[in-house]
Amino acid sequence: MTFTFVRRYFIPRLIQYFLVIFLGITAVFFIPRFAPTDPVQRTIAELRSRGTYLDPATVQNMIDDLRELYGLGGSWLEQYGTFWKRVFTGDFGISFFQFPTPVIDLIRTALPWTLSLLILTTMLSWVIGNVIGGVAGYFARNRWLRTLDAIAMVIRPMPYYIFALALLILFTYVLRWFPIAGGTAVGRKVAFNLDFILDVLRHAFLPALSLVILGGAIWFQTMKLIVQNINAEDFVQYAQLGGIKERRIVFRYVIRNAMLPQITGLALSLGQILSGALITEIVFSYPGLGTLLFHAIITGDYNLIMGITAISILAITTMILVIDLLYPLLDPRVKYR
Amino acid sequence: MKRMWKVLTVVWIGVALLALPGLAQLAPELPRSETLIVGILTGRVGSASNFNEWVGWKWRDRGMQNLANEPLWSIDFATGEIINGLAAGDAIYSKDFRHVTIPLREGVTWTDGVPFTADDVVYTVKTIMATPGFNAHSALSNDVGAVYKDGDYKVMFDLKQANSRFHTHFLDRWGCIWIMPKHIFETVTDPLTFEFDPFVGCGPYKLHSYDPSGYWTIWEKRADWDKSPTGILYGEPKPKYIIFQTFGTEGAKIVAQLTHQLDAVDLSAEGLMAALAQGKTIRAYQPEFPWVVNNDPCITGLLFNTAVAPFDNVDVRWALLLAIDIVEHLGQAVDGMGTLSPVHIPSLGSYPEDFIKPMEPWLEAFTLDLGNGETFHPYDPDAPQRIVKYAKGRGYVVSDDPAVQDQAFGLGWYKYAPEAAAKLLEKNGFSKNSDGQWLLPDGTVWKIEVIETTDTSTHGFKNGNAAVQQWKQFGIDAEYVASDAQATLQGNGKFQVSGSWPAQEPWGAGVDLYRTLNYYNSAYMKPLGELNQGNNSRWSSPEMDAVIKGLRETDPADTAATVALGIEGLKLAVAAMPGIPTYGYCGFLTWDEYYWTNWPGSENPYTQPYAHWGPFKYMMPFLEPTGNK
Repeated sequence: MTFTFVRRYFIPRLIQYFLVIFLGITAVFFIPRFAPTDPVQRTIAELRSRGTYLDPATVQNMIDDLRELYGLGGSWLEQYGTFWKRVFTGDFGISFFQFPTPVIDLIRTALPWTLSLLILTTMLSWVIGNVIGGVAGYFARNRWLRTLDAIAMVIRPMPYYIFALALLILFTYVLRWFPIAGGTAVGRKVAFNLDFILDVLRHAFLPALSLVILGGAIWFQTMKLIVQNINAEDFVQYAQLGGIKERRIVFRYVIRNAMLPQITGLALSLGQILSGALITEIVFSYPGLGTLLFHAIITGDYNLIMGITAISILAITTMILVIDLLYPLLDPRVKYR
Repeated sequence: MKRMWKVLTVVWIGVALLALPGLAQLAPELPRSETLIVGILTGRVGSASNFNEWVGWKWRDRGMQNLANEPLWSIDFATGEIINGLAAGDAIYSKDFRHVTIPLREGVTWTDGVPFTADDVVYTVKTIMATPGFNAHSALSNDVGAVYKDGDYKVMFDLKQANSRFHTHFLDRWGCIWIMPKHIFETVTDPLTFEFDPFVGCGPYKLHSYDPSGYWTIWEKRADWDKSPTGILYGEPKPKYIIFQTFGTEGAKIVAQLTHQLDAVDLSAEGLMAALAQGKTIRAYQPEFPWVVNNDPCITGLLFNTAVAPFDNVDVRWALLLAIDIVEHLGQAVDGMGTLSPVHIPSLGSYPEDFIKPMEPWLEAFTLDLGNGETFHPYDPDAPQRIVKYAKGRGYVVSDDPAVQDQAFGLGWYKYAPEAAAKLLEKNGFSKNSDGQWLLPDGTVWKIEVIETTDTSTHGFKNGNAAVQQWKQFGIDAEYVASDAQATLQGNGKFQVSGSWPAQEPWGAGVDLYRTLNYYNSAYMKPLGELNQGNNSRWSSPEMDAVIKGLRETDPADTAATVALGIEGLKLAVAAMPGIPTYGYCGFLTWDEYYWTNWPGSENPYTQPYAHWGPFKYMMPFLEPTGNK
């Protein structure tokens, strides 16, 4: 059984896993190089557009200097070889636009904010949305749950940007309860004490609320629909006729069966966390990977793009592999074959 | 149900506890009444811990150029002055412009207490020249033969070739070559990768702290502020702390200002109107319409790629200009708030008196050949009056004082003349099809792509979209293409028309237009596909080369000769029209007067008004606290 599992189930998935990572990272290397944005020219254009007077007579020399400095000499193939050598050591080189800051340092600064906000909100919205959605699907005639459903119907189609902006205006301008911007108060130094933790939570509250409400509404509605379908299944009808307690039917029979696609969805959502939450970061001026990646793209900062997306590709494919391996444990109908 | 209420109560108490400090955005040690908070124009700082502004782009408007640094000289476009910072006076040139002497200010110290001397200047120049990768490496290497000091407060340069504008490398006009503190840089192994944290400058403020994520930087007034040029020239700066902060959206900026958490910020036209309408303590640069900062030394407009057909034809470029109704264009772009300029410099400061007014007879006589023996005079001195009429029609209160109107709306522009435009095109083989669309001489439909930024708040976006509307009305299939790669595309000549500045910005003070005209030098024009070194229109001419050469050989202190050459260059640019100048840059700046007053508004322009320009530091001694806590 163990050998069969390794040979017929684990190894093919592992090969697939490495292949996806290889192809994904290769694509990430080449795609920005096909884009019309050249990092050297972009840097010069930025300096010029920001009012720096670059003597036109010496611009070509500056281009040559920067190409040398950024390590953009040699053919793409040579750069590709160097790139893989660096990937294995976790070194994505320096950021061109934020020269000479190493890419890994920029990611290290942004990552904790993204991870803490998005892991928490993804899990919270998933748990809240699925539990309430499951109950709402089963007790479809309950007045309160129907009201919740109506609210979710209104919230879900809202563009996130508008929803987040509305929360921002409500809580920071109308009610004036929460700060407008940032991950901490301006001038607050990092310290592991209650004041600092409360400050961080206070600043994270609105971004988190926006993500939990909108994310929760989506999980709520999908779960409710899945449960409503399962309700019509024979085994649920038999359980009801057999006098099994309703709580047991809801949680053991219905919700458990409805969870499988939701678990896959959760795994993918967690994997995508490393791409950041661009709009959340922009609306709430919150630190994170989303804006870092966005600016890397518009400035043609190849190394930074590759650093963030390589980590993201690794995270998503790993989560898919883990789910693939765990699925037979969650659903006995799926076998290790 | 009881359990649910218990859970909800706990959640509510949690939220209430978190919300207790309310809106307080500042750490407790920063008293709001002693703190000035301003926006960062260029947004979130990408490399927050790196203050080495001599390499690459370092978000220098986070307080480095505008507060903590002092250049040798600064441009103040509002007063038209060139302010001596670290320099004690003007640069002194030899007759052949091959030797320059710069006198330095005595009594200045760096923020760490070390005296500033000629050694710092000599070290800066030598280090930059010795290290490829510094932004100014090529420029200084190209110019400087030798640099040495004569005592502690005089620096001498021997130049490789005559250059009457060498000193402008150190003249801060939103950036220049700043002086390095020798005692710090000489201790590091690699000055290129050195982060220079904490920052040390000669300005009146020192670095207090910064957000590693780049959203804010805090500066604190030096105890020895009187050892900075700002303190020596203007006295003690008033705010104890100055925070440069960025916000993700304009909505957040407006909310921050309405709740008194942001004292000065640049907004969009719409944002300015919203802030003024809702904030009782918020004011703009001008107390009445058109509110905006209209003396910023940049001219906005449209730029043609004259290296591609049909924009290589001057008649086509002029036809496209005459197809623009400037009233509609300005209305769409900035609701009539811009100051028109018919030439390739803005109508601000001394420029109208020195250049535009003396050019008026020539502009009025300027004639276009429409073909078939027909001619046309395009200049329209009444164009600003048409803008006044538009503004009054919109319900804005506009002064009837002609001097105020000239200052607000300019001295003239060009006629809206679609018939003349059509004749110019027909003269060159263009025609119209039965749908009223313009066809190229080869009979295909004429499509124009105006490529420019995705950022809707920029004047590039506004001018580009307004022109597209005008040209569509004229019958051309025009389209605005928004691209984040526009800077690279334009540099490489992969565009037809853009909404970029139609000419390089002038200094904003003095009469020297070398900075603007030199960009048309034929030596800087590269073939399509290569990054252009001069103006992206790629237009040049032997006549303009001669003007540039003339300016190089003229002492910029010789006002009469410099103005005459400047006018000659502007005439050539108007005749060739490689880019269409529309209006001077409008700054949609707002100030909140809740904590600080005596801002340099149009009624009292004691210095330039922005927080991001270098002379912002010189505003600090003049601001007054209101006493609000």
